[in-house]
Amino acid sequence: MSIDVRNLSKRFGRTQALQPLDLHVASGELLALLGPSGCGKTTLLRSIAGLVAPDTGQIHLHGVDVSDMPVQARGVGFVFQHYALFRHMSVFENVAFGLRSRPRATRPNKTELGDRVNAVLKTVRLDAFQQRYPEQLSGGQRQRVALARALVIEPRVLLLDEPFGALDAQVRRELRRWLRQLHDELKITTVFVTHDQEEALDLADRVVLLNQGAVVQSGSSDQLYMAPASAFVCDFLGETNHLQGELRAGQIHIDRARWPWPNQAHLADGRVDVCVRPHDFRVVGADSANALQVTVQAVRNLGGRARIDAISASAGPINIDLPIEQFSDLSVQPGAALYLTPARLNVFAV
Amino acid sequence: MRAHQLQHKLGKWLLISIAVLFLGCFLLLPLVLVLVSALSKGLDVYWAALSEPDALSALQLTLLVAAISVPLNLVFGVAASWAIAKFQFRGRSLLITLIDLPFAVSPVISGLVFVLLFGAQGLFGPWLAEHDVRILFALPGIVLATVFVTFPFVARELIPLMQAQGRDDEEAALSLGASGWQTFRRVTLPNIKWGLMYGVLLCNARAMGEFGAVSVVSGHIRGRTNTLPLHVEILYNEYQFVAAFAVASVLALLALLTLILKRIVETRVAHSLNRGAHA
Repeated sequence: MSIDVRNLSKRFGRTQALQPLDLHVASGELLALLGPSGCGKTTLLRSIAGLVAPDTGQIHLHGVDVSDMPVQARGVGFVFQHYALFRHMSVFENVAFGLRSRPRATRPNKTELGDRVNAVLKTVRLDAFQQRYPEQLSGGQRQRVALARALVIEPRVLLLDEPFGALDAQVRRELRRWLRQLHDELKITTVFVTHDQEEALDLADRVVLLNQGAVVQSGSSDQLYMAPASAFVCDFLGETNHLQGELRAGQIHIDRARWPWPNQAHLADGRVDVCVRPHDFRVVGADSANALQVTVQAVRNLGGRARIDAISASAGPINIDLPIEQFSDLSVQPGAALYLTPARLNVFAV
Repeated sequence: MRAHQLQHKLGKWLLISIAVLFLGCFLLLPLVLVLVSALSKGLDVYWAALSEPDALSALQLTLLVAAISVPLNLVFGVAASWAIAKFQFRGRSLLITLIDLPFAVSPVISGLVFVLLFGAQGLFGPWLAEHDVRILFALPGIVLATVFVTFPFVARELIPLMQAQGRDDEEAALSLGASGWQTFRRVTLPNIKWGLMYGVLLCNARAMGEFGAVSVVSGHIRGRTNTLPLHVEILYNEYQFVAAFAVASVLALLALLTLILKRIVETRVAHSLNRGAHA
């Protein structure tokens, strides 16, 4: 089932939660809506589900306009950030809720209902916990009950709001792998909301990055990471150094450094924001004419890599990550000079 | 034992003694006195005072008024707290203030409001007289006054509970295909069950015991518009002390029963709140 969102906007009081935006989710795709808190990603997800009434725009599920349908009729499975399990019901009853709520004509009989609930509970590996109550489960188990409850109604699309937000790091990674497997098995069109870029890059086929209610960039994790559309995307997907430079005839000038910038088609010569990730710096010899000279201020060992806090005379503070072996070879000391060239960089107009 | 520990202990016992003494003098002693006075002329007299027709009709009226006003306030209370706790709308804070109004206003004033509205010289008085509808000095007036005075109990109990629980559970139920009514019956109601019970008990206690507002609108017609509290007052004013205390003891008994039930429900409310915080 594909999802088509056209010209959707929503305002809450004075805040424009969503600028008019379009979104297409292909059938069977696993899509992440990524963005800082307050960027409108949850509002977009809730609009698709029918839990928020948008001010403008249409939502199509597999070509059918569902904009005027109530949430009950849309056939979406929604998993809430805090799971919203019914605390007075056992795991079995929670999962059975959607089937029992059907009109009498389409309600499965007792054996069929039991079979279907059991099958879904088996899928989420909770068949041994049928009679437990939500308060007797761990966070990860509750999350899986919430997923089972949404899956049992055989939803056309699955929507997850910060699915791993309330879990600790270890459980989060496990559940992530597991959700990816489950998606590959069920092939159900899935959209999830997250503010964690690692989670989005790791799990999703495609990531849509939102900021201030608008889509900033959409693409595979590689595209977003390697070819960010703006300094914001660059910043949001990982730590970034911003260097003030000048673009002149395909070359970036910072101090005495000259870095080539061949793909400048969309940029006019002049002042630019040069974005380089800490691990994309290479340390070169002092004789290298085009390198940027920086002074080391502090060094720290962060396990597999070394973090160097340095400062450039004209570009300000710079963070550098080096593999630990290279770092010990260089024997860097505070006060020493380092010469840097970027292995990868992105340049944006100021 | 060190000096400051001794002081600490002394302080503790002093505070406890004061509290117990105070409660004993002002709550327990009167209660015991009511029972003792009621039974001072023997069980026969006690029984006679209760089985006298006017007393019976007062008891009947009290139960009837409670039976009408408590369900009404149950429905109003749930509706109001649902609206306030789960939705944002214009005038929401005004509604919260209005719900508290009956607590803030003296019951006598509450009664007078209805006299001003439905009395012979009142706003609707002439129209009511024309159409031969009796509200004041009749059952409708007493019910109205009681409903007004006891309105806040259910809503006050439910609003914080429902606010704490949020809307997630209801939205989850709707997304799973449940209708509005199914959601209310199978999700909302079980979530607020014990809080609702608690509010209803308090509401009922007040509905049976209300004096001020009912006194203004009832007209004190013996055997017809006298509730138990009014009947007690009349007996007392006529120097029938034993009978007055006998009837009062029935009210006290109802109150005690309410307190016991309330105690049971209270522990359940605390329990369900705890579960709410964890689940």
